[in-house]
Amino acid sequence: MTHNAVIEVKDLAKKYGKNDVLKNISEEVHDGQVICVIGPSGAGKSTFLRCLNKLESPTKGQIKFNGTEITTLSEKELSTVREKMGMVFQNFNLFPNMTVIQNLVLAPIKVKKMSSQDAEKEARSLLKRVGLEEKANAYPDSLSGGQQQRVAIARALAMNPQVMLFDEPTSALDPEMVGEVLAVMKELAEEGMTMVVVTHEMGFAKQVADEIWFMADGYIQEQGTPTEVFDHPKTDRAKDFISKIINS
Amino acid sequence: MKELKQLLIMMAMVIVGITAMSMAPSSVHAATDNSLAAVQKKGTLVLATSPDYPPYEFQVNQKGKSKIVGMDVSIAKKIAKDIHVKLVIKSMTFDSLLVALETGKADMVLGGMNPTPSRRQSVDFSDIYYMGGQDFLINKADASKYPNQKSLANQKIGAQTGTLQYNLAKKYIPGVTIKGMDKGTDLVLALKTHKLEAVGMEKPTAEAYAKNDSSVIAIHSSYKLDKNSTGSAIAFRKGSDSLVAAANKSIREIKKDDLINKVYLNQAGKYLKVNTANTSMGHYWKYFAEGVEYTLIIAAVSGIIGVLLGVILALMRLANNKLLKGIAVGYIEFVRGTPLMVQVLFVYFGVGVIINLPALVSGIIAVSLNSGAYIAEIIRGGIDSVSKGQDEAAKSLGLSKTDIMRSVILPQALKNIWPALGNEFISLIKESSIVSIIGVTDLIYQLNIVRADTYRGVMPVFVAMVLYFILTFGLTRILNHFEGRMQHDS
Ligand SMILES: Nc1ncnc2c1ncn2[C@@H]1O[C@H](COP(=O)(O)OP(=O)(O)O)[C@@H](O)[C@H]1O
Ligand SMILES: [Mg+2]
Repeated sequence: MTHNAVIEVKDLAKKYGKNDVLKNISEEVHDGQVICVIGPSGAGKSTFLRCLNKLESPTKGQIKFNGTEITTLSEKELSTVREKMGMVFQNFNLFPNMTVIQNLVLAPIKVKKMSSQDAEKEARSLLKRVGLEEKANAYPDSLSGGQQQRVAIARALAMNPQVMLFDEPTSALDPEMVGEVLAVMKELAEEGMTMVVVTHEMGFAKQVADEIWFMADGYIQEQGTPTEVFDHPKTDRAKDFISKIINS
Repeated sequence: MKELKQLLIMMAMVIVGITAMSMAPSSVHAATDNSLAAVQKKGTLVLATSPDYPPYEFQVNQKGKSKIVGMDVSIAKKIAKDIHVKLVIKSMTFDSLLVALETGKADMVLGGMNPTPSRRQSVDFSDIYYMGGQDFLINKADASKYPNQKSLANQKIGAQTGTLQYNLAKKYIPGVTIKGMDKGTDLVLALKTHKLEAVGMEKPTAEAYAKNDSSVIAIHSSYKLDKNSTGSAIAFRKGSDSLVAAANKSIREIKKDDLINKVYLNQAGKYLKVNTANTSMGHYWKYFAEGVEYTLIIAAVSGIIGVLLGVILALMRLANNKLLKGIAVGYIEFVRGTPLMVQVLFVYFGVGVIINLPALVSGIIAVSLNSGAYIAEIIRGGIDSVSKGQDEAAKSLGLSKTDIMRSVILPQALKNIWPALGNEFISLIKESSIVSIIGVTDLIYQLNIVRADTYRGVMPVFVAMVLYFILTFGLTRILNHFEGRMQHDS
């Protein structure tokens, strides 16, 4: 399987001052795989995800993307890596000074040097895909949380990425809006997108994930299929955590 | 610690720069005297004067044009004619006159100026051309109460700050309380509203006031004075011996024919009548219009340059490069730590030693450099106010630093700081009035001219106040309009 690893992480560690947030992580993400990362708050899940596209610089270790070492790249060179890794944030982070369609076309035009017609055509079909065609000219602040997150997914997809990173995409949403966002993500997974998703949505993880990584105290403590991790957790930490989210 | 060190080095560099510039003039007048030849070579004799002192010098509004006239101007004209060059008049505040001379902005200064020993230390003087004598202006109603100088003992007396009149009253009138003000018009206003009992003035000035305002009269002083502290003389840059000699020659001719009393003062009197024939503010609208025009030019140009400079400084300050950061921090701290007035004087007179900048350009440069520092801090605050998530989202899309700044961060920052920026523009309109000290004809400058010309103390101030309000209120409306347009997205 190693021959088609999209992301390879080796001996990754990250410190904030004296705080050891990530302690020696080695993992691989393969083409077409959907990985769900679970674990208690403060475990280092966000930090791990943000190291993958180098929004955070690791203190130690290597990260390869398509075989290229990215930890040593300059900010400028990173741009070509980042455009291939879409990222969706907990707080959507849409650009409030632009309309929905402007949010979608900005990077394709500026980074990929697409013509604005092509970019807009592409953007409209993506909006259709996430069910928000009619919101093209609305401003983000006039949309519901669920709609904003779907726009954010469409914006990341507009760069035609190879991998999508999701950092708790539904935790800031009202419960009734969680479903519409998960539906879009599920569809994406079914189309074969490679995805790393930090989430607490057990149902989604069980249905969609190829692998579950359980993270605590800066380590990936346990990993396996959803059945293995959710139904037969091996460590006490995992048992404890899973019983908590099932009962919540 | 390192940053502090950089800051100190920056400051030291600035101070060294200033000192170097202030040293420069001394080398200028160390040169051997070719002052007359130099003036004749360039074909112009530049007179600096403060035209708010009738009948010595003042502005007259004739046939829709305003020009500087008065006894001093007539004398200057004669000197220019005698050495076959053209007279050019530069106007500025009295305090700036001698600096203008020392820094080469002007060749000579006439301003009813007394050649006191302390002034002689920094400039050369011609012979005395006029002995004005000293008077007091008092309210007509007090004529019997204050018949002479002696009766003014233990009273409140006003005089222009830094003048001979101020020092004389302080020294020779027992128990007196002296109140110093910058403008003769303000002093007269204080007199008429009984905040002062008398105002010390040069005789011709006091007489001119008395002639134009029936509620005040002039009484003679009984100071016993030597010529040097009471007569008027022309100031020249130190070492201008040949120019001084040429001026003295003209002065001798003036004295021989008694031109001052027979011709010049009469002419000045006629001009004064033109001014005071109609002292309605409407008659002086052109003065105010020009003032508004210059105030707007300075505020607009400085505002635009200030924003550009502010953006650059803010980006430098946020940069990773320690040197750029140090320069920006040093600049901002230095500018914010010194008064705008000093900066204006520094650009006009200090930098003027190296390149001779016109007053308007100097004013705009100083105000721009100043507002740039303040705007930089506003912009930096605006950039900081945009959430980190915006930067990260933009980065995750592969956008370059420049594109992120231009398309994502700055537009949002601008919206956040718009009210603060608006405040800065409004205060620019008001604060830029300080440029009047170097003779830029902005609204404040024109206000002082109108007050001096019309002998009216309050009305011109009121007009200027209304005009300033219209300007700032208009600007507020425009800014609100744009703020409204930026709001559509929320
Ligand atoms: N920028 C940062 N500076 C300092 N500490 C940080 C920073 N980001 C995260 N941390 C710390 O790292 C730890 C892990 O955070 P995070 O990766 O956000 O955990 P999770 O996403 O699993 O909740 C926490 O203790 C957090 O306080
Ligand atoms: Mg997190």
